[in-house]
Amino acid sequence: MQEPDGFDRLYRDHVDLIYRYAHRLCGETESAKDLVQETFLNAYQGLKGFRGEAQISTWLYTIASRACIRMRRKRKGEPEHELSLEEFVPTSEGEFRLQIPMEGLSPEEALQNKELRQALDQAIEKLPPKYRMALVLRDMEGLSAKEVGTIMGLNERAVKSRLHRARLFVRRELSARGITHHDDHKSGGMRS
Amino acid sequence: MTKKKTAPPKKQSGQSSHRHTHGQGHCVDLLRQLSAYIDDELPSDICREIRRHLGACPNCEVFIASLQHTVTLCRHRPAPQLTSVDRVNMRRAILDVANAR
Repeated sequence: MQEPDGFDRLYRDHVDLIYRYAHRLCGETESAKDLVQETFLNAYQGLKGFRGEAQISTWLYTIASRACIRMRRKRKGEPEHELSLEEFVPTSEGEFRLQIPMEGLSPEEALQNKELRQALDQAIEKLPPKYRMALVLRDMEGLSAKEVGTIMGLNERAVKSRLHRARLFVRRELSARGITHHDDHKSGGMRS
Repeated sequence: MTKKKTAPPKKQSGQSSHRHTHGQGHCVDLLRQLSAYIDDELPSDICREIRRHLGACPNCEVFIASLQHTVTLCRHRPAPQLTSVDRVNMRRAILDVANAR
């Protein structure tokens, strides 16, 4: 058995961070919990070998990311879909000018629009996993491209390329839904 | 040698003053660089060039605004929280499996 105190501290300090990441990757609660357990089980077994070369959160993100890929392969095994930049080049004036209803609203107010929030969730869920991971780590977890590269085993250029395609994908999905402004944000909290 | 000044493109009636060249030229180059522009990772001369293009091209201006909105929404997307019961149960489950191995 390992040092339980060290593990307890690791778990207490990082379980919320890793659950948030897992939920953003998996999109639903039970898979996220499975991923958290797998991550901390691996961390428990590897804690003695952790030499502190990276931040502990980066180490945990890396374990979680690898575990997510493994769990997904077990479930599906289908090849990753590649996103090419060309598919995002608008082919018509109308497509170029599709908009997302946010003018005059704070992001929090905009996200009280249930339709927009659902469209965002679905767009992220539809992203091929390696693009979703780059988007979640960079734009939601707020890590630098360098940190994302360390976690995903990529150079910064590759991270930025995946991130750009992921953002273009989500932008197209959101704007193609033709969501319009409505007054959800005026009537209080989130209603899902 | 003196450079010849090129004549500005003639406006065609019934069309916007900026003619969009989808699939080629500036707009596509810009599309490739938009994330780097949003993340403030481009050299200042390229940023200036992009701003100049955006000023002349309403379509690209709308496009970049929608991409910026996308990034903003992602950054503010709410994340669910674990309950304290879940935290305790998961910790116990992890230690049970670890100790059984």
